[in-house]
Amino acid sequence: MSDPLAEKVIATLAAVKHIPPEKITLDSSLAELGFDSLDTISMLFELENAFQISIPDESARSIRHVREIVEGIRALQAAPPPPPPAPASAN
Amino acid sequence: MPPRRVVITGLGGICALGNDVPHIWDSLRAGRPAIGPIENVDTSELRFRNAAEVRCYDPSAHFTPSAVDHLDRFAQFALVAAREAVRDSGIAWTPELRERSAVVTGSGVGGQSTEDAGFEDVYKRGRGRVHPLTIPRTMANAGASHITMEFRLTGPAFTISTACSSSNHALALAMQLIRGGGADLALAGGSEAPLSFGLLKAWEAMRVVAPDTCRPFCSDRKGMILGEGAGMLVLEPLDAAVARGAHIYAELAGAGLSSDAHHITQPTLEGPVRAMRAALEDAAIRPEQIGYINAHGTGTPGNDPVETRAIRQVFGAAADKLAVSSTKSMHGHALGAAGAIEALAVLLAMHEGILPPTANFTQADPECDLDYIPNLARSRPIEAALSNSFAFGGLNAVLAFRKLAK
Repeated sequence: MSDPLAEKVIATLAAVKHIPPEKITLDSSLAELGFDSLDTISMLFELENAFQISIPDESARSIRHVREIVEGIRALQAAPPPPPPAPASAN
Repeated sequence: MPPRRVVITGLGGICALGNDVPHIWDSLRAGRPAIGPIENVDTSELRFRNAAEVRCYDPSAHFTPSAVDHLDRFAQFALVAAREAVRDSGIAWTPELRERSAVVTGSGVGGQSTEDAGFEDVYKRGRGRVHPLTIPRTMANAGASHITMEFRLTGPAFTISTACSSSNHALALAMQLIRGGGADLALAGGSEAPLSFGLLKAWEAMRVVAPDTCRPFCSDRKGMILGEGAGMLVLEPLDAAVARGAHIYAELAGAGLSSDAHHITQPTLEGPVRAMRAALEDAAIRPEQIGYINAHGTGTPGNDPVETRAIRQVFGAAADKLAVSSTKSMHGHALGAAGAIEALAVLLAMHEGILPPTANFTQADPECDLDYIPNLARSRPIEAALSNSFAFGGLNAVLAFRKLAK
């Protein structure tokens, strides 16, 4: 795969679910990868950290496949910068 | 000797709907939600702005300055509600009764704002120390302990922390203490004041809080709305209440407790079903006698259809004859205080013959097909009612109330 963004998304998902990245493709669904609701909010949290973005609850709710995550993040990065996410720590 | 029957003879409460029981009931009956912008915490860095906050509350109207030093907001609420409940019950304390009186409270998160302020001092302000009263203000049993001291009650006292079911577990255990002879009176309920910046951030990360308002059972529901407050009830054996000529709101006739043993946040159908069935059985109430269910009804995508299916499974054909509402649409989800505030709603509904509605109701979710009393309270005398609490962690507690014949 020569898409660095997709690779980073897959690496993030793999780390959250503690599975090898090779098991994840763009066509994988979160359900077949075994993501439950808590895995999903943890994934969103790690993706926000990794890409320095803020993923709104509304769009987060409709995500089913890895490809939608990759395309969603690409769109977020192309859009004018949203208000910066709150700093991870106050310092 | 058969177990003693337990009745409710005093009510106290404070929540976003009002700072005492009469004001709370006015709002419930009017179907008037108290959800709005959070005032006590800066929300500029939060994804949501709204909660059901206690307003126009001045601690100095209730406590001396030195008492306030010892009381986190959640413990203040516990005391304010306990005082009202005791006043309402007209109980005359004797040394013997004080020794035989229990205090059982629920709290999910204890003294959140105190803890948050202490951690802010250490981590953000770089101060090397926190206020010395941080521990006694923060501990989840602070509310129970201050109630024992205020009324000098020296019987069993403890606090139950089962997240959103804390209050219902507390009321169930208090009922069982009196039934079994372990106490002759109980002050029981719950209190919570969870609106601190740190905890709001944690709820934000769970992505279950609605950006606007709480619309339980509606197709356009977007999640829960956090609330705060306290509810406290005076529980007594029926014979003692009758003997002293007390005003009796209703009988706390039974409780059903169960655990899903499934998932830390996702509910099952079976756990709530077993809890409702156990409550009916414990109370010796037939499904068709239940006229009203105060639902857990959080307004999250996960809860509402499952709770609807669970009610259908327990009640069968009778499910279409009873009315269900989620008063969380008005007072928000007060977590460990939720069951106690909802018990007030149920008891007043039975007492007044008026069922509080599910407010903010738009269009029912096709998966939610019961009578949810949309937006307008309804006059309807009821014989018996259930109050559901289903906590994160899969811990379910259902209370069954029965009206006593005059």
